[in-house]
Amino acid sequence: MGLLSKFSLNQKLGVLALALGALAVFANVAPGHTVKVNAKELLTGVARAEDHVTPQELAAWIIEGRADYRLVDIRDEKAFAEYHIPTAENVPLATVTDGALGRTDKIVLYGDGGIHAAQAWMVLKGKGYPRVYTLLEGLDGWKDEVLFPVMAESPTAEQQARFERAVQVARFFGGQPRAAAAPGAEPMALPVTAAAPAVAPPTLPAGASSGPKKKREGC
Amino acid sequence: MSAPFYKLGAFGDEASLIVAFLIGIGFGFFLERAGFGSARKLVSQFYLNDLAVFKVMFTAIVTAMLGVTYLSWAGVLDLSLVYLVPTYWIAQVVGGLLLGVGFVVGGYCPGTSVVSTATGKLDGLVFLLGFAAGTLGFALSFPLVKGLYAAGDIGTKTLPQVLGVPYGILVFGVVLMAVGGFMGATWVEKWMAAKAARAAE
Repeated sequence: MGLLSKFSLNQKLGVLALALGALAVFANVAPGHTVKVNAKELLTGVARAEDHVTPQELAAWIIEGRADYRLVDIRDEKAFAEYHIPTAENVPLATVTDGALGRTDKIVLYGDGGIHAAQAWMVLKGKGYPRVYTLLEGLDGWKDEVLFPVMAESPTAEQQARFERAVQVARFFGGQPRAAAAPGAEPMALPVTAAAPAVAPPTLPAGASSGPKKKREGC
Repeated sequence: MSAPFYKLGAFGDEASLIVAFLIGIGFGFFLERAGFGSARKLVSQFYLNDLAVFKVMFTAIVTAMLGVTYLSWAGVLDLSLVYLVPTYWIAQVVGGLLLGVGFVVGGYCPGTSVVSTATGKLDGLVFLLGFAAGTLGFALSFPLVKGLYAAGDIGTKTLPQVLGVPYGILVFGVVLMAVGGFMGATWVEKWMAAKAARAAE
């Protein structure tokens, strides 16, 4: 300790900082250095249904005006122009890793069905995007559950109440309820995307996820 | 367990407020222990009598930088997920000068004025009230200053990107700057003390 005690604490700390700084030159750290994707963790997340949001959840988020996530339509531009879920932005499947999506963003992906979105989800997860989700069943799920809800045959009181809320939500997004199970019926016409909602936002059922609004980060 | 904890979903929004509260208490505590609850101590910086502000702040920067570097190297922290404030260089030069003028005139910066008020100093409280009034004034006059607010937007930039040097070399460079700065600051303090002693004779 004789040698060390010749120096003040500040001097020792200064030398330590210099040593760590010099070592950092060889540490091979770059901002692109990412945490590895853990396959087990991914699969457990899927099994626990933590990888998707349901159409009803998404509808509630849009009605609440939540802005802490990005809704991404991965279909091509033509399909996007014909119809897309309100608030969605178009990032075609082939371009999802081209930089339009930030790695820190919370992202909800959807395509026509569930498969393309799930494939894009896998790629983004593999690239280290931690907060990516898919819309369950994609646009098909959105149509079946949100735009054109079906009432169950001989519904219970609870089902009836739930259906009435669903009708309100459907009208908000320009859809309408369907008659129960009509095989071969005319496909329902999709609402025009740009149309402003003609109906007042429905009141959400109690217990619907009420998430935070986007916060500013930093100091 | 990987970091950043919030981004990777280790805790939610409500818990993040508690974490921010605890970190804030820690920040205030160390500012106070460094003597930064006193406007005299802080303003000595500008008269070159006592460069503690420079030393404490630069020490914090170097400590955090080395910590982040080695956590990232160990694979515990994903640096690319850490939020970086975008650079609006014109807005930040103007804002930095304004803050500096306010610091010299008022004797505090925003964080230290809170520390000072918490330790019962009236000048800190006055500064804090001015700080609140200024914030309100900024919000109300925002349409007028909106152009300046976003002036010089060059996006999110880091020093390795701008200077084109590898990350590790930049880290070493900053440490060298800090240690050199500390030695220089100590020399300046001794020189000023000697000058004051001569003037007193």
